[in-house]
Amino acid sequence: MRRFRASLLILPAAALIFLFIVLPYVTVLVMSFRAPGANGEPYGPGFGLQGYAQFFDEGYYLWSLPQSLLLGIVTTFVCLVLAYPIALHIAGARRRWRGLLYGIVLSPLLIGIVIRSYGWTILLGNSGVINSTLRDLGLIQRPLPLMYNDFGVVLALSHVFLPFMVLPLLSALQSMDPAVKQAARSLGARPFTIFRRVTFPVSMPGVQTGCILVFVLAISSYVTPALVGGMRVKTTTLLVVDALIDQFQWPFGSAMALILAVSAGVIVLIFARLTAMKWN
Amino acid sequence: MRIGALFLGLFRLLVYTFLLAPLVIVVLASLNAGNFLTFPPQGLSLRWFWTFLENDVFIDAIVYSSILAAGATAVSLVIGTMAALYFVRHAKREAEIVRIGVLLPLILPEILTAIALLFFFYEIGIGTEYKIALFTGHVLMTLPFVFLNVTTSLQGRDDSIELAARTLGASRYTAFRRITLPLIAPGMATGGVFAFIISFDTFGISFILKGSGSAPLPIQLYDYLRFNFTPEAAAVSTVSIILTLVLVTLADLLFSRNSKA
Repeated sequence: MRRFRASLLILPAAALIFLFIVLPYVTVLVMSFRAPGANGEPYGPGFGLQGYAQFFDEGYYLWSLPQSLLLGIVTTFVCLVLAYPIALHIAGARRRWRGLLYGIVLSPLLIGIVIRSYGWTILLGNSGVINSTLRDLGLIQRPLPLMYNDFGVVLALSHVFLPFMVLPLLSALQSMDPAVKQAARSLGARPFTIFRRVTFPVSMPGVQTGCILVFVLAISSYVTPALVGGMRVKTTTLLVVDALIDQFQWPFGSAMALILAVSAGVIVLIFARLTAMKWN
Repeated sequence: MRIGALFLGLFRLLVYTFLLAPLVIVVLASLNAGNFLTFPPQGLSLRWFWTFLENDVFIDAIVYSSILAAGATAVSLVIGTMAALYFVRHAKREAEIVRIGVLLPLILPEILTAIALLFFFYEIGIGTEYKIALFTGHVLMTLPFVFLNVTTSLQGRDDSIELAARTLGASRYTAFRRITLPLIAPGMATGGVFAFIISFDTFGISFILKGSGSAPLPIQLYDYLRFNFTPEAAAVSTVSIILTLVLVTLADLLFSRNSKA
């Protein structure tokens, strides 16, 4: 009776997730194997592999996949390099400062992704803040191509997802006993050796979680590549939305989305395997 | 060694600047008196805020987003708090499954979840009508934040106090109201604020499931930004940033008062 009453607590959440997450994802899987529709219908009767075939037949779609994955990997790497010193800094900061620094790191999360991407377009545009300043200083004649290319997209994506790297790193670093570091120091280890032999291995679970989070978020983001890339950087996610919403080709769009998800999953697995082997 | 430390300090300063720059620049751009987003600004003025206040599209979008966020937050608060109570107090072997299950909307790519919901609602014959799909999507997106915050406020707390109250003759309802609820109230408050902000800002779900008629703020802003370059969008964004700051500050005040009591 007690068990039964308790299980009522989880019932609404379980129903919500099953009905509106599990079943819809199954629908996507089924949709990807449906036949393409004719006369403006999103899909036709019967099943087939045409959705998958179309992706592999047309270089335009096929090539977007390695490019998107590379964009995700580079963004993840940039985030890791930027986030690590910040996480170390916050973990070692005095209590008074920690709240403020924490706030700075979290602040981008609280502002919508559209606004943040928009902020980058103001900064990076041809007559944007950076180019205007450099021109007024006489350093450049023609504006630097900062936007509408991979560089701008990676920069903006790194900003948008940096908190997702800092937070896991921080929680891993804060779980470390400061006495371990002191012990290493008193035994004569140099600061870099302490970092390499003590701090970094301890932070490894945070590195793993942060990298996986940022990679998945980056390759599936839509707004930032659309606004900062100005539709000139064609990521697979942009093509998926285009196929589904604008061209109304549901089986093809679903197949493409699943191919992207499986590819991302493979990269995540390889990454998890590699990092686990080295540090455990 | 000295130079290394200096270099590291400079690098950190750069990263903090990098984090704040786009937000500061949006606020500064909204005060530009010129017709275009030029830099340096052609004088300071609040004219774009007046333009925004006279533009029904953006006002409607803010009102619409607020109602949607309030509704989604209310539903998420109930379902998420119940799930958190179950997870901390009752879940045993299935705990990990419960946690991952409730966090799925956060772990899965938002745009893919949106597409999946679109197909699902289309298959059951509702489509994007009546905003049911949109509302469901917003509840899903906000649920993990309520769950995480309430779970945190419950963990490390002994449930023997509640048992003690029950042995002393308190009814199940009284024990919940007088013991459990005050314990989880800060977690619910923080989770609720997070949920509201997430719903207010979420893009993918709204973009795919908005249907016809009025659209949430991020969608209107995105549509506007694709074709316009006036500082009006910056004024709208600034208002949205200020709203968020006010909410967070309020929650912080509420939260710190609670933890003192």
